[in-house]
Amino acid sequence: MKPAVKLAQLSRGMGALIGIAAVFVVLALAGVAFGSTWIPIDQVAGVILGGGDKTQQIIILQLRLPRVVAAILAGGAMGVAGYLLQKITRNTLASPGVLGVIDGAALGVVLFLALLSDESNALVTSIAWQPVAAAIGALTAIALVFILSGRQASSAIRLLLFGIAIAAVAKAITMVMMLVGPIYRTSQAARWIAGAVNEVNWGEIQITAIALVPVMALVFLAARKLPPADLDEVSARGVGLNLPLFRIAIFVLSAVLTALAVAFVGGIGFIGLMAPHLARLLVGRSITIGILGSFLVGAVMLVGADLIVRVLFAPLEVPAGTVTAVIGTPYFLFLLMRKGRTHG
Amino acid sequence: MPLWAMLCLLAVILLGAMLASLTLGYRVYGLDQVLAALTAFDSSEAHVVIANLRLPRALMAPVVGAGLGMAGVLVQTLSRNRIASPDTLGLNAGAAFAVVLASTVLGVSSMVGLSLASALGALLTALLVFGIAATAGGLSPIRIVLVGVTIAGLFHALVEVILTTNEAQLQQLLFWLAGAFVDRPMALVANGAPIMLVGALLAASLARALDALQADDTTAHGLGVPLGLIRAVAFLAISLLTGAAVAMAGPVSFVGLVVPHAARRLVGLRHGRQLAAAALLGAIYATLADVLARFVIFPGEAPVGAVTAVVGGVVLLALLMRRAA
Repeated sequence: MKPAVKLAQLSRGMGALIGIAAVFVVLALAGVAFGSTWIPIDQVAGVILGGGDKTQQIIILQLRLPRVVAAILAGGAMGVAGYLLQKITRNTLASPGVLGVIDGAALGVVLFLALLSDESNALVTSIAWQPVAAAIGALTAIALVFILSGRQASSAIRLLLFGIAIAAVAKAITMVMMLVGPIYRTSQAARWIAGAVNEVNWGEIQITAIALVPVMALVFLAARKLPPADLDEVSARGVGLNLPLFRIAIFVLSAVLTALAVAFVGGIGFIGLMAPHLARLLVGRSITIGILGSFLVGAVMLVGADLIVRVLFAPLEVPAGTVTAVIGTPYFLFLLMRKGRTHG
Repeated sequence: MPLWAMLCLLAVILLGAMLASLTLGYRVYGLDQVLAALTAFDSSEAHVVIANLRLPRALMAPVVGAGLGMAGVLVQTLSRNRIASPDTLGLNAGAAFAVVLASTVLGVSSMVGLSLASALGALLTALLVFGIAATAGGLSPIRIVLVGVTIAGLFHALVEVILTTNEAQLQQLLFWLAGAFVDRPMALVANGAPIMLVGALLAASLARALDALQADDTTAHGLGVPLGLIRAVAFLAISLLTGAAVAMAGPVSFVGLVVPHAARRLVGLRHGRQLAAAALLGAIYATLADVLARFVIFPGEAPVGAVTAVVGGVVLLALLMRRAA
């Protein structure tokens, strides 16, 4: 490829990225402004910068901003996790949801809450361990999927079925643990069933953000070693990429990203599937820009989904995960059917 | 072992499982107490528990299990797919969605109404999944299952929306949605059983045609099987069996996936015997799973659907690893 062409592509990607970022900012502001009482955007900006009256401060800083920030972080992490999984499995149908990673992470959290709570429903250890529990669950799930599928993992569709079976088992155990533990309070249970951003608080966001920074740094470091095009295993080894170990590293990173999203927000389906597709479509194939794009698109999707449930179902709190599922299901079916035609 | 001996043996095992269901639980009762409660009821605590709590579930579990087992056989033959089942094709979820929709939005409360809604939900889902499969130009077995599972996920999301907008029923429905035989009134069994029976009779009437259908469409056609009619009746039977089961106990997962495999191993591929064996095995499986569900988180009680989901998930993995699909 000529350098000039590559540069042109890159700048087109950058342009699209800036466009996505603009949408992202608008949606995030709208997410804060919209609610049972509308707060004009200029006043939102004022409050965030430290002004505004007491009521507005409480509404924005304590109620709305946490859920928007949580949606950004969780949606973004899911988007990047999906991007990495699709890249490394060379499988556009792969995502944390269908590979059982989301349900594995949710099981990790529910086990953590059930086993480490005392009689009065208080945790006996720091809540900061919750993402660790989620990560252990996520890693266990993805490891099981790949170990059990063995050589069948190279078949895009068969791999998904292993993921779905693992997810079903994890989901069933999660259900039992919710009934066992003191966490069986229905409002909270909904979080682990469908994923919701409405109950997240600043402490939880802080933990997520602190953990997310080094993980994303590692992702960008690893990204430079991702095969530039869709290399098969032999050619990748030919250009000096040590695939098996590298693959494991990428799987671990995507599992940890998923776990960070799931730890406080619950399982949000389909963002990990759709965000990378949309990002690739908009910003092209450059990897670094693709990762940034997946993060932003994922964040836009979850903030948008949360806005939709707030608009449609106010004053009720419907989990945002239901919106992503309702939109994501037809999309996934479309992909499946298209694949069915092109590959027999 | 001859067929009749095999079926008799299964029936005896089923009887044993039902007795276990009557005697075992948070309180363990003796057979004499069970007998007394059923013949000479005296309103003592033991008798109330046995007659009002244990008996309905000891009767419901076999009925539901038998229905799902037979539905599983029909689904697997119809789609020529060993990992198809009412769950993996989304029928359970469709039926559950229909029940939740009918009871919360339309205000249906009669058991007959809910059963019909449930059967209709299963039927529409079956048509949707097979329709998508057909328009995509003959999807592979695995792909049909992916379509089914995805649609099941969609129904779960929609149920979630309805539940959060009707919070009063959330707690109660959450348990039902996992699949459970607990706290079901006797009337539920009495109303659901006839629907189940109709489905079972329809299934039995198809047995010979299904034998011919098993190979491929051309063979079946050559043997003079009216394909369209057989498929339509089979869909109806599947919907009635699954619908009644879901209306009674909620979506008890993966019974319809696991049972047909066991039935085929025991009695072979002929559908008459396969259906009979699947009914008995399904009944035994559901009853024993229900007993087990009382002990996994003792003294609490797990939904039986969670138990069958874990077992079924593991069986599905084993089938995939053996490349049975």
